[in-house]
Amino acid sequence: MTAKDIIKITINLVVIYLIGGSILAFVYANASPRVFRNNEETEKKALKELVPDADANEKHEWSSHEKHAKYFIMKKGGETIGYVIQSFGKGYSSYINTFIATDKDFRVQKINILGHGETPGLGDEIETDWFRNQFKDKSIDHLKVIKGDTKEDIQAISGATISSRAVTEDAVKNGVAFLMKTVNQPAAAAEQEGGHTDVKH
Amino acid sequence: MSSTNTSLKELVLNGIVKENTIFKLALSLCPSIAVTNSLKNGIYMGFAVLFVQVMVNLTISLMRNVIHPKVRLPIFMLVISGWVTVTQLLMAAFVPDVYAKVGLYIALIVAFASILARAEMFASKNSFLPSMADGLGMGIGFLFALTTISFFRELLGKGSLTVPTGLASQHTFTFINTKPLLIMVLPAGGFLAVGILMALFNWINARYAAKAAAH
Repeated sequence: MTAKDIIKITINLVVIYLIGGSILAFVYANASPRVFRNNEETEKKALKELVPDADANEKHEWSSHEKHAKYFIMKKGGETIGYVIQSFGKGYSSYINTFIATDKDFRVQKINILGHGETPGLGDEIETDWFRNQFKDKSIDHLKVIKGDTKEDIQAISGATISSRAVTEDAVKNGVAFLMKTVNQPAAAAEQEGGHTDVKH
Repeated sequence: MSSTNTSLKELVLNGIVKENTIFKLALSLCPSIAVTNSLKNGIYMGFAVLFVQVMVNLTISLMRNVIHPKVRLPIFMLVISGWVTVTQLLMAAFVPDVYAKVGLYIALIVAFASILARAEMFASKNSFLPSMADGLGMGIGFLFALTTISFFRELLGKGSLTVPTGLASQHTFTFINTKPLLIMVLPAGGFLAVGILMALFNWINARYAAKAAAH
């Protein structure tokens, strides 16, 4: 290789790097604000679907499986009506990104699977309505997976017990447990008592 | 003028039939198995590859006289990964719903044998119009292959077809409510589908060629 070749190769690579780099920088600068807005909108839509009654929410952050996650205190007219928490479950071939809505007594109301990479045809049934609807009104004690018929607990998807467990006993259960531990307990307890005294009167 | 037109048309057809990436050259089989368990994924992936293939061929053919032959492969890789990243960013920004589903596989396009092969064998030796026609043909051929494979896999494996009705919307037609042949959506079914369709494609081609020869 002559000195001329070396110079030519160097110029070749430098020019390509510079041109490629500036094209990428330009596209990134234009695309990233849109990506950010899209994510915000997806989140807003997900919250609206999970707790349609809420008119405001308070956003907090936590971590699930060392991933960055969020939780929201859902409010209506200034009163807390429930919580939504994002949580990850370690599944068969992926982390399952789950949004869980609970009422203010931490009973699960609805769950949504936002993203996963489970086996198509088997594990991806965690997205189906029949599986997700089982979570309605379940308290933390009933968040366990049973193989076979059950009304009390969560029935496993046949052929996808690991994915069912990951959603139920990892994502949802840990999310709800975190909420119960973290969210202002005395306030929730006081509200409950208030409810009881109302009944007495 | 008419001779260049026919040759461009031939170049496009060449990529679709004679040198179909999957059915004839048997290149890029890995993604063709990974993403084809539903029709919509196959179609979205096909379009992403079509775009990258055309842009890469175009770029390489424009640069072919200034690239030093000793560093041509690193430069091809840089161009390909650059265009893949652009595709990824644009999809995330403008079609987030599609990106959420196939985003993971888009990055894989960087390692597609078919794209690197066309850059090396065709675009680096031809001017930009034939190169674009070649990229278009190869891309459409790939899109066609992914569409047929995913059509049969989803239909047989899930009993349904998910058709994209727009950039962000889709509709699922369910024909059979059980899963008739679950293996077809699992990885093993991917091999079966690719193999059977490849045989079918070549059989039809051979018959067609025999008929043309007889006349």
